[in-house]
Amino acid sequence: MLGYFLGLVLFPMLSGVLCLVPAFKDDRKRNLFVAAVLGLNFVFVLLSFMQEGAFELLHLTDHLALRFMFDGAGRFFLLLSGLMFLMVGIYSFEYMSHEHNRPRFYLFYLLTLGALNGVCLSGNYMTLYCFFELMSLLSMPLVLHSQTNESIAAAKKYLLYSVFGASLGLGGFFLFTVYGGSTAFVAGGVVADALHHPLQLSSDLLFQRNMLLIGAFLAIVGFGAKAGMMPLHAWLPTAHPVAPACASAVLSGVITKAGVLAILRVVYFLYGSNFLVDTWVQYAWVTLILLTVLVGSTLAYKEKILKKRLAYSSVSQVSYVLFGLAGLNAWSLTGALLHAAAHSMIKDVLFMSAGSIIMHGHTERADRIDGMGRKMPMTFACITVASLGLIGIPPLFGYISKWYLCTGALMTYRNFFSWLGPVVLLISALLTAGYLFTLTINGYLKNETAESDAHEAGALMLLPMVILCALIVICGLAPKLVMQLIEFINTIA
Amino acid sequence: MALVQNFPFLSIILTLSGGVICSVLKGHGARKYSTFVLCTVLIGSLLTLAHVLSTGEAYVYMMGHFPAPWGNEIRVGILETMMAALFSGIMLLSLMGGMHHIFEDTEDTKSNLYFTLVMLLSASLLALVYTNDLFTGYVFVEINTIASCALVMIRYRSGKALVATVRYLFMSLLGSGLFLIGITILYDITGHLLMENIAESVAVLFKTGTYAFPLSVVIVLFSMGLAIKSACFPFHTWLPGAHGNATVSSSSILSGLVLKGYIFLLIKIFYRVIGMEIIFQQRATNVLFIFGVLAMIVGSIKAIQEKDLKRMLAYSSVAQIGYIFLGIGLGTEAGIAAACLHIIVHAITKPMLFTACGGFMDVSGGSKKFSELQGAGLRDKLSGFAFIVGAMSMIGIPFFAGFISKVYLTTSAIETLSLKTVIALAALAISTLLNACYYIPAMLVLFTHPKKEPVSVHPRPKAMSLSLWMFIGLNFLMGCFSQPIVNAVIQGIAMFR
Repeated sequence: MLGYFLGLVLFPMLSGVLCLVPAFKDDRKRNLFVAAVLGLNFVFVLLSFMQEGAFELLHLTDHLALRFMFDGAGRFFLLLSGLMFLMVGIYSFEYMSHEHNRPRFYLFYLLTLGALNGVCLSGNYMTLYCFFELMSLLSMPLVLHSQTNESIAAAKKYLLYSVFGASLGLGGFFLFTVYGGSTAFVAGGVVADALHHPLQLSSDLLFQRNMLLIGAFLAIVGFGAKAGMMPLHAWLPTAHPVAPACASAVLSGVITKAGVLAILRVVYFLYGSNFLVDTWVQYAWVTLILLTVLVGSTLAYKEKILKKRLAYSSVSQVSYVLFGLAGLNAWSLTGALLHAAAHSMIKDVLFMSAGSIIMHGHTERADRIDGMGRKMPMTFACITVASLGLIGIPPLFGYISKWYLCTGALMTYRNFFSWLGPVVLLISALLTAGYLFTLTINGYLKNETAESDAHEAGALMLLPMVILCALIVICGLAPKLVMQLIEFINTIA
Repeated sequence: MALVQNFPFLSIILTLSGGVICSVLKGHGARKYSTFVLCTVLIGSLLTLAHVLSTGEAYVYMMGHFPAPWGNEIRVGILETMMAALFSGIMLLSLMGGMHHIFEDTEDTKSNLYFTLVMLLSASLLALVYTNDLFTGYVFVEINTIASCALVMIRYRSGKALVATVRYLFMSLLGSGLFLIGITILYDITGHLLMENIAESVAVLFKTGTYAFPLSVVIVLFSMGLAIKSACFPFHTWLPGAHGNATVSSSSILSGLVLKGYIFLLIKIFYRVIGMEIIFQQRATNVLFIFGVLAMIVGSIKAIQEKDLKRMLAYSSVAQIGYIFLGIGLGTEAGIAAACLHIIVHAITKPMLFTACGGFMDVSGGSKKFSELQGAGLRDKLSGFAFIVGAMSMIGIPFFAGFISKVYLTTSAIETLSLKTVIALAALAISTLLNACYYIPAMLVLFTHPKKEPVSVHPRPKAMSLSLWMFIGLNFLMGCFSQPIVNAVIQGIAMFR
């Protein structure tokens, strides 16, 4: 198991450092090397499917151990991040050719991948927190890559939100160690059964229960910062427009999912869904989520800068995933994980297309792409497929996940959330159609206002976009493929 | 009696006499001699620590076997020897890290005096740590004050340093004055100066309820006196000037060690003179708690506004001292243990940051303003790396030393279960964020390519590289394998009783 850990966490990190050696000054050589590393990482991920179990690497103090484990939830997110980093990596070879400091970009790209794999493999709260923090720090240089004043300010904002969020998560950790006991992740939670029913508790135990609930809420809000959940969502629309397109793609497609995974771990592997169901934590959480979904979509609808629009869209869509998590039952959770996968693929395609438009269409604004679809047909075809998926038109992938999310909500709640949730999701889907279809419509149907020298992106940029689009269609037609990967949810919810 | 048991007393004598010897040596001779003495003290303290750990009990050492009131006593326990080893080790590393600056910043004929002061400072720190006699404590507090003020002032032809020294001297003397009045009153109502004897009479007095008011006055005087000297908010105003304008080694020594010596003495007085039960009932700790919380917030905000790297680090020290007082102020044994851990963590981190800052100044034409320091981390990569490690540790990122003490501070705050819990947690969260708010922009400045022509770079002295590597190693060791140290601290505090 140690071997797989080393392969998944240390191997990408060390390879990242190797990108700086003089032998890799040559772009071609370095790109081949990075592609090989990303490919090998993907192979490691696939091989790790044969592993099951946990081990402890190191004790910081007697009570703080670094524990790693291989289980279904971790594997699902490992696969997701491995695939996305590979695809975006291939895309970046061509895209980065017009940016400076390429070795540094790949250094932090691979370091981030290692830290992200660490998050997926974490076996207790402490380890999760460590790698989460590490991931925030290491992904910051991706945001400030162009080193303009704007991007440095955005990077600072990103880091402050992340650090503050993670420190709230750490607060949850402390409360859990004092009142909850062991923080090793166990499917179904570790909170004692005695604490589950508030009405039968003595005042001491009731206090303990309340402290645990506060801890859960802190952790959810804290880790929710990475997933773009309100009130800590504001870094996303600032950080994404200034980062290179490939960095935005992984930030929004994969790193937001690390926030989802962290919440999944805390809620389902530490507290247990039975402990939190029907508590104020669940309702407060759902309220925040629905607000985020609505506000994110509305702001995206009004936004004219393409990448910023996509960032707001991420704010709202990742909260769909969280909405599934907050359902606290297997049905909603299925929807959540399916939507996590769907959103990763779709948002990566959209950000990559946005990158092509910026690079070859020379505009960052969504209202200046009139008629560009005829010059960049493949890019706009990909945008169309992805948009249809995100809106949730059958038979694409986004449809399946949304169906589970809505029906899950109807089954879960015994109060007004049971209809409010689906209604909000539907309104948001309508807004999604409003802000994404305009791209396709303007791109293909409107006439060009001015002569532009836009032209189609190169093969290396199109290839990953097309592959992901194909996956969106395939997974939509055969969702069983993905459902097999998430069978583990039956043991946790 | 084992031979090694004599060593704590010997180390005080060795350093005191070292001060005298250094004053007649030439600069480089004094450097060699003081390095030798500090190495000896470090090794001896570690041996004593091993001895005390193996026997598991503290012992009292009477000088020349004269009983009080004629003779003088020192007490040697786990925590005392740990602090002695820490102080001598960090002193050595700080000297090594700023050695070339010492010779640049002092007058040629006076550079030996710098080492005299260092020796006197070491002697007084060791005495503060070991003493079992309150009045001896006072005497060495004064020696410590004079030596540390002189360490700021000795900087050659710096008007700012002179002004800062005068401020520092005033505040320090005020602090020791309060401390002395406290001792006088205590002597008046108990008739003793040895810590154990005072503790016995105080317990009796407290039970009978006589002299209740003078006793609370004494506690306030001790707390305030030592809080002023250790730059606790709101008595911190002297610190940024003194630490920001001194030569590199002085800044490291002052922030890493001198402040901690007084805090350690305060903890010792709380435990060994007044008794912890009485302290908690008197609510003196509540005041320290509030000061600590305010220091954490105000110090960090001041640091954010600062445009000068060294002054920023100095304000960061104000905030970090706040953490220590927060731990003490929690008023539990776990809180004090966490405070002791933070003393250790800050002592190994802040001198590293100051040393790295010295490295940046070397490659930026001697300036410590952020505007001149752009890209300094790229010109001096080792200092840059050390600065990153130090900043991460101060923010409290896992695997670095600062995380460990924060974990213990937080858990002890949660276990307190009162209003303090909420305040402490909020303060810790906010100050973590504020720490990030000034260390991260500082790192960004240090690691962006400068637009101007780079200044000529002369090679980094070997001693400085060695010292930086040792600091970095210590930080990782403390961050990843801290359990033995934590255990020793808890054991050492239990020994105070």
